[in-house]
Amino acid sequence: MEFQSCVKIINEWDIVAARQLGRNVAKELGFGTVDQARITTAISELARNIYLYAGRGSVCIEKEYEHGKSGMKIIASDEGPGIQDIRKVMEDGYTTSGGLGAGLPGVKRLMDEFDIDSFPSKGTTITTIKWLR
Amino acid sequence: MDITVDVKDITSGVEVRVKGEIDAYTAPKLSEALYPLSKREGIVMIVDLTEVSYMDSTGLGIFVGLFKSVRAHNGVFTLVGLSERLQRLFDITGLADIIDIKSHAEGGVE
Amino acid sequence: MEYRENMKNKYREALSTYLQDQTEQALYQGQKISKKSIEYNIAPEEIINIHKNILMDVYPDTPEKVLDSFDFLLEVMMGYGFAYREHQNLRHIQQELESEIKIAANVQSTLLETTIPNVDGLEIGAISVPARQMSGDYYHFVQDEKKHIGVAIADVIGKGIPAALCMSMIKYAMDSLPEHRHNPSSVLESLNRVVEHNVDPSMFITMFYGLYNPEKHLFSYSAAGHEPGFYYEAATKEFTDLSARGLLLGVDKKTKYVQYEKKVERGDMIILLSDGVTECRTSEGFIERETLIKFIQKNMHLHAQDIVHHLFKQLEKMQHFQLRDDFTLLILKRNV
Repeated sequence: MEFQSCVKIINEWDIVAARQLGRNVAKELGFGTVDQARITTAISELARNIYLYAGRGSVCIEKEYEHGKSGMKIIASDEGPGIQDIRKVMEDGYTTSGGLGAGLPGVKRLMDEFDIDSFPSKGTTITTIKWLR
Repeated sequence: MDITVDVKDITSGVEVRVKGEIDAYTAPKLSEALYPLSKREGIVMIVDLTEVSYMDSTGLGIFVGLFKSVRAHNGVFTLVGLSERLQRLFDITGLADIIDIKSHAEGGVE
Repeated sequence: MEYRENMKNKYREALSTYLQDQTEQALYQGQKISKKSIEYNIAPEEIINIHKNILMDVYPDTPEKVLDSFDFLLEVMMGYGFAYREHQNLRHIQQELESEIKIAANVQSTLLETTIPNVDGLEIGAISVPARQMSGDYYHFVQDEKKHIGVAIADVIGKGIPAALCMSMIKYAMDSLPEHRHNPSSVLESLNRVVEHNVDPSMFITMFYGLYNPEKHLFSYSAAGHEPGFYYEAATKEFTDLSARGLLLGVDKKTKYVQYEKKVERGDMIILLSDGVTECRTSEGFIERETLIKFIQKNMHLHAQDIVHHLFKQLEKMQHFQLRDDFTLLILKRNV
């Protein structure tokens, strides 16, 4: 692992810190304005979910290099209540945060790769990547 | 059109006042408000329909469901304040023979 | 991708023209670009970015603060982009569901298909129209080995898909009834047990079952909480309610049903209906049973099939072509 940087999410201000970290790394990697906005929005949603539903957790950013492509990986993890029915939260129209609205399916659409692991009463880890085009 | 469901606690159960139209769109609200109560052991549930201006068969289904649930939990289920049209609906379906329907004079809700 | 490049050029052109002379023509171009962009899935935040870049290009001396404000706007519009994508996906899901329901409706109509028996001296008319795609109404004719005609009309309490699923079960239960048990009260008693046993406790069925004996012209019938039909007596020219007492199917498994009998004379009519007929709501309120009778009287000289057809057309029009409930109407008319 060449680079990893994390922000602990405990209160609402930490969401801003996570966004800031994400934006800096996105800029550094050469993402354009629109993709920067998409990445930070995705980070915002993930961090908000942690803040609202798990109470505490973290958002980590990694730089990814694969087959000559570079990209940015976001890992959002918490030790919260977990998600009972992942299929359900991945359905459109199922809004948990009431915030931006589209929740996890929205994050998935903003990014290129998306993976989720969740265990009831153990916590949730969401990993998502955006590749530089 | 919407409905309001007013639930008031009385000594042995609840008095419910329903206001508005009961149809497929509003019925879930009624059912969500009353189903959990119907499962209380020995509950007395009095439902006042005086201010119900319209009810279709979906509403009928809910009242039958409530009646069965209250009866299964040894409670008492009573309907009061039925309009002529509603009374006819309960007569036709034969439900008037099994569900306790009271006129206002003898009903519990003043 | 090709469209994107093309769109950027068009955007540049329209924006430049507009900034120069504020023409309506340029604004119209803008509207066309927005329509096309939706078609090609270009998100709102992308458009803002394109706008900013073109502006920088065309007016290099645009104040820094104005340009920065576009980054802010872009961030604000992200939420809309988010919602927009969800909306598009939901629309796609809706289309899928609609086509599934369409197929299900076809399956249902095949399943519930019934042939109207051809009997000397008896005209039969039938119409059944669902309020939505699938029907919770059901009617069925059977003719037994003694040439007696069984007629069933049923209505599941509720509408749409759940009602339709339930209806399919009734149809199956009807088909499994033993041949010799077609007298109305025992038909209802057997179905009541099936429904009580198999259906969700908040779901109920109303049903009318009649058996016509074409030799003796006797009509015997029983009803389970069903909207009463009408009986027209030609001798007195009067309509009466075809009432029958009986509890809805599925409430109590021990329910017994009373069987009634009527001698049918020449010119008499049996009119059976679902509550979608009497629950017709017009701008002036519900359709009264008297109004229905008047409509029937007006068309009584026609063939039974034409009567039901005319009546439906009339009621459909009165409700401004919006059915609130499934509509089923059957008429049996003794003509010889």
